[in-house]
Amino acid sequence: MLCDDCKNKPAAIFFKEVLPDKTIELHLCEDCASKRGLLVTKKLTPLEILQKLLKQTSAQDEKVICPRCYMSLAEFKRVGRFGCSECVTTFDENIRHLIKQIHQNDRHIGRKSTKGTKKGFEVYKLREELKKALEREAYEDAAKIRDKLRDYGVEDA
Amino acid sequence: MASKMLDNIRWLIPNTGDTLPCGEEMEIIVSSRIRVARNVDSIPFEIKMKQADAESLIALVKAIIGGKVDGTFLDLTKMKPLEKESLLECHLVSPGFIKKEKPSGVFINRGGNVSIMVNEEDHLRFQGIGCGLNLVNLSSEVFGIEEYVGDNVGYAFDEDYGYLTSCPTNMGTGMRASVFMHLPGLVFTNEVEKVLKGALQIGMTVRGIYGEGSEIRGSLFQISNQHTLGFKEEDLLERICKLAKMIIDIERKARDVILTKARNEFEDKIFRSLAILKAARTISSGEVLNLLSALRFGVGVDIVKDITLETLNEIMIVSRPANIQLFFGEFLEEQERDIKRAEYIRKRIGAE
Repeated sequence: MLCDDCKNKPAAIFFKEVLPDKTIELHLCEDCASKRGLLVTKKLTPLEILQKLLKQTSAQDEKVICPRCYMSLAEFKRVGRFGCSECVTTFDENIRHLIKQIHQNDRHIGRKSTKGTKKGFEVYKLREELKKALEREAYEDAAKIRDKLRDYGVEDA
Repeated sequence: MASKMLDNIRWLIPNTGDTLPCGEEMEIIVSSRIRVARNVDSIPFEIKMKQADAESLIALVKAIIGGKVDGTFLDLTKMKPLEKESLLECHLVSPGFIKKEKPSGVFINRGGNVSIMVNEEDHLRFQGIGCGLNLVNLSSEVFGIEEYVGDNVGYAFDEDYGYLTSCPTNMGTGMRASVFMHLPGLVFTNEVEKVLKGALQIGMTVRGIYGEGSEIRGSLFQISNQHTLGFKEEDLLERICKLAKMIIDIERKARDVILTKARNEFEDKIFRSLAILKAARTISSGEVLNLLSALRFGVGVDIVKDITLETLNEIMIVSRPANIQLFFGEFLEEQERDIKRAEYIRKRIGAE
């Protein structure tokens, strides 16, 4: 099949767009597709998009601060990394457009964290404390730690 | 030491133990890989993490994984540079990971095909790797372990943004899946660029062997998903598989073209490559990669019959600079390395 536009070179790209009143179908060669702007030849990578968007700063950025890890929006824009799991909530209105441009999407539809507990780490720390308490034979402390562990549903400590 | 290193590439040489069964289309797809990034909700992310956080995360993961999965935990701070480099050459860790200075470590399962990097850019990076086109099997293995760990630590998760990661480019599924392809046909027929542009159109990216920024050598290409947010994991995997199969079709056609139009020329190239590998007394890793490319093509189209793809896979990894030293169990200067590499290859393809 020849290209619909130049009728000269073989068509390499099939383009289809469904509009309310009609459907456009085009068979184009690479050159003509690129002339129509239908061919993305150099696309910025997600990381490049991020770096570009982070350069847009404002004086207010210093004042938006994550309550948990104390990262400011300004710092986030400098390093391009979140400081903790609370940062996205804190910066949400400032970064949603950014995330949308990086991923061409802003809503997760994949797997979900079924047991999104924050318990794991706490339980671990308590078990460590318990071990230490028993080592120094501080049985009263140990009993208190066991109670806390029981609150987390740990019965075997 | 040699056997320890070989353990780390068992995923590439199936039927040598309890590894995953081999994937499909092995003559074109060298390997498949899935990497999943996760962070523990209760610990600050890398950039705000303290030394003590890093240490307790390692202890936590060791305790959780130890009871569940059979394998070894390697403490990166206690490893020699050569051993770290070897893990990278065996594709079990990322380039950025072995440069980390804070406490970090990697858990590797007994089959050598699943690794968990602790304190990479994200707290946890789960990785599964296998030969051939194998994404579906790999994903169930990786997510099985990921879920078990998650139940015990609680991942950073947001209803809108999914799994939260250090870098916004990884959030959502946190998953990057890739297939590593050998495309000498497309390189010869000059169609590579066209295919790669096509991949870009549908949100896939193409890189060299070791990921971002690495050069493309030996007609080897890696295709992976660019975006991690807004897709279901299984849909992403299916899209990559579909793209891989499409490229496989074009590559097969290109190989047919080569064999009808330039059979003599290519047979010559293949057997000359084989002859050099069988006879060389000193050889660089770059030259090996190019010769292996010709030989892999020869094996794939059944021109070379007495060498298996598994053997070629093994040579490709073992002959890399750090691995060849660990294989012989000694520190070797570049020149000595080239001599030992030639010796290893001669033995491996049965010339001696």
